[in-house]
Amino acid sequence: MDELLAVVGYKVRSSDMAEVAEKLERLEEAMGNVEEGISELSNEAVHYNPADISNWLESMLWNIEKDSACSDYDLKAIPGKAIYAPENPNPNPNPKRLKPSTESQSTRAVVVVDSQQNGIRLVHTLMACAEALEINNLPVAEALVKQIGFLAVSQVGAMRKVATYFAEALARRIYRVFPLHHALSDSLQIHFYETCPYLKFAHFTANQAILEAFHGKTRVHVVDFGINQGMQWPALMQALALRPGGPPAFRLTGIGPPAADNSDHLQEVGWKLAQFADTIHVHFEYRGFVATSLADLDASMLQLREDESVAVNSVFEFHRLLARPAAVDKVLSVVRHIRPEILTVVEQEANHNGPGFLDRFTESLHYYSTLFDSLEGSPVNPQDKAMSEVYLGKQICNVVACEGTERVERHETLNQWRNRFASAGFSPVHLGSNAFKQASTLLALFAGGDGYRVDENNGCLMLGWHTRPLIATSAWQLAANSGWDGVFEMDYWNTVNDNAAVLLHKCVWKLGV
Amino acid sequence: MWHEQRGEEEKRRGRFFINDNVDILREILKRLDGPSLGVAACVCRLWCSLTRSDDSLWEHLCFRHVSSPPPASVRAVVVALGGYKRLYMVCVRPVLSRLGHSERVRKRVWTRHEVQLSLSLFCIDSYERLASGRLAGADASASSLMFLCNTVNV
Repeated sequence: MDELLAVVGYKVRSSDMAEVAEKLERLEEAMGNVEEGISELSNEAVHYNPADISNWLESMLWNIEKDSACSDYDLKAIPGKAIYAPENPNPNPNPKRLKPSTESQSTRAVVVVDSQQNGIRLVHTLMACAEALEINNLPVAEALVKQIGFLAVSQVGAMRKVATYFAEALARRIYRVFPLHHALSDSLQIHFYETCPYLKFAHFTANQAILEAFHGKTRVHVVDFGINQGMQWPALMQALALRPGGPPAFRLTGIGPPAADNSDHLQEVGWKLAQFADTIHVHFEYRGFVATSLADLDASMLQLREDESVAVNSVFEFHRLLARPAAVDKVLSVVRHIRPEILTVVEQEANHNGPGFLDRFTESLHYYSTLFDSLEGSPVNPQDKAMSEVYLGKQICNVVACEGTERVERHETLNQWRNRFASAGFSPVHLGSNAFKQASTLLALFAGGDGYRVDENNGCLMLGWHTRPLIATSAWQLAANSGWDGVFEMDYWNTVNDNAAVLLHKCVWKLGV
Repeated sequence: MWHEQRGEEEKRRGRFFINDNVDILREILKRLDGPSLGVAACVCRLWCSLTRSDDSLWEHLCFRHVSSPPPASVRAVVVALGGYKRLYMVCVRPVLSRLGHSERVRKRVWTRHEVQLSLSLFCIDSYERLASGRLAGADASASSLMFLCNTVNV
């Protein structure tokens, strides 16, 4: 008899240990599959000798397996190999042997659950659930989502977190419980800014492009499509203050959504930036605009001045416009009217806006797994890391669970954006080697960040984790002739004062004649 | 007390005592590297007050190894944002150590990108402190630069 188990009251022969362990594993799995209360099982089974654990397990398993044979949730009914790999004659193909630290005489074989196998099953179950949702098979999807929950806890690290967030998102999609706007979203973004390099990379590369575009200008105006906490602008103001010849007069227009608590958040940010500008003696002006969507803006609201050079900056804002058709076109048309020196755009490098749910799901699973992997290595304190993960988890929820205008996280790849901007009359501006070197140095500062890579892609800069690019910075200016083939633009914005002749002249010119 | 008496005795004997020649002391301190400057601050009250109050010592430390000297306008900005000592403690020292360069290596030359990056990070730090209303004391590092701090294993 095994001595250690005998101490706690069980009688198991040493030679039976492997078998008992295997049965325990099967019982645990079977209990996970049971939908009704487990108490029913314990009532039906009759045990005469509970210390004889081997036989007890045998009878429990027999009871459960006889019940589940006709269950609605028999996952073997799902065609294909998504859930079950082909029947393996050896139920425990890789028993792991652990040498116990105390006992030295006889080796005891201890079988542990193979977490690698569970990892593969986890991915398969996630995919199967998405497949079920694509064809709107809700009962199967529901059963699978519960499985995912169990499988996720057998994993560790990034895989566990990603699977948990995706499971939550799938559950929300199934039960139609859509996430409310998070009260803490500002705070979450701040933590994301602090723990990983993505936002800093975005700011530094965009600032370098803007700085170069403002070379030699004395009055400059930046329009920020998403001001948030204004973290991008102190560094630009400092770089402008240090340029030979002194700083230009700096004007900033910050655009943001209405604050959840009705506070005047944009004015607060403006005030902090004004204080900062004052300490480094840069002439500073600020205006804040509250707008639920960028498409609500008009160029006339910005009160542009004759002698100033304008830069338009958008960090992770353009993709939100894709929820409503024509919103992007309207915003790009407003940008054209602003006639900026440069338009800087930072976006996620992924296609999360395809028409099919399954493709979107697969893409986002890969993308966010990579993002979470990169966070895993960073040695920041666990609370901050957790906040960043919640920030990303919200995005996952939006991509997977929401539809229509609610789904704002409609990421598209750099090439897709290139086509959009090119057909809207913009030509690319190459980000120079200064931006590249700054970005590389920045990444070298992140401990545990050996996996970060900066790549140059036809003048655009991409930040990635190992081989997977994750975000892309690009810069644009108005194309030399802003006519484009055969497309006729009605001049919406100046209809009041223009007379018909002037309007006609503009139209003809724009046709590229 | 004891060493002041000794100083007077030395004077009477006409011997050189460094604390009587603060300008020479400054020139020497200017040439020290970071850790040595920290040690020097522990020697006596005079040396301590010098290292604390004289920001130009730290300026030399920060930009000693820059390939081309930074423009004069840098000083106004750095002083306005908190001074060279803070720049060194909060940005230059962690950046150097992350980039794998020992503070005692004298031949390492900073590129202007590294200088620019340090200044940008220093700005962000100052902006955050301004924004939080100078809470948590002047020496506490603001959170944006947390990624530069090494975690402590508790």
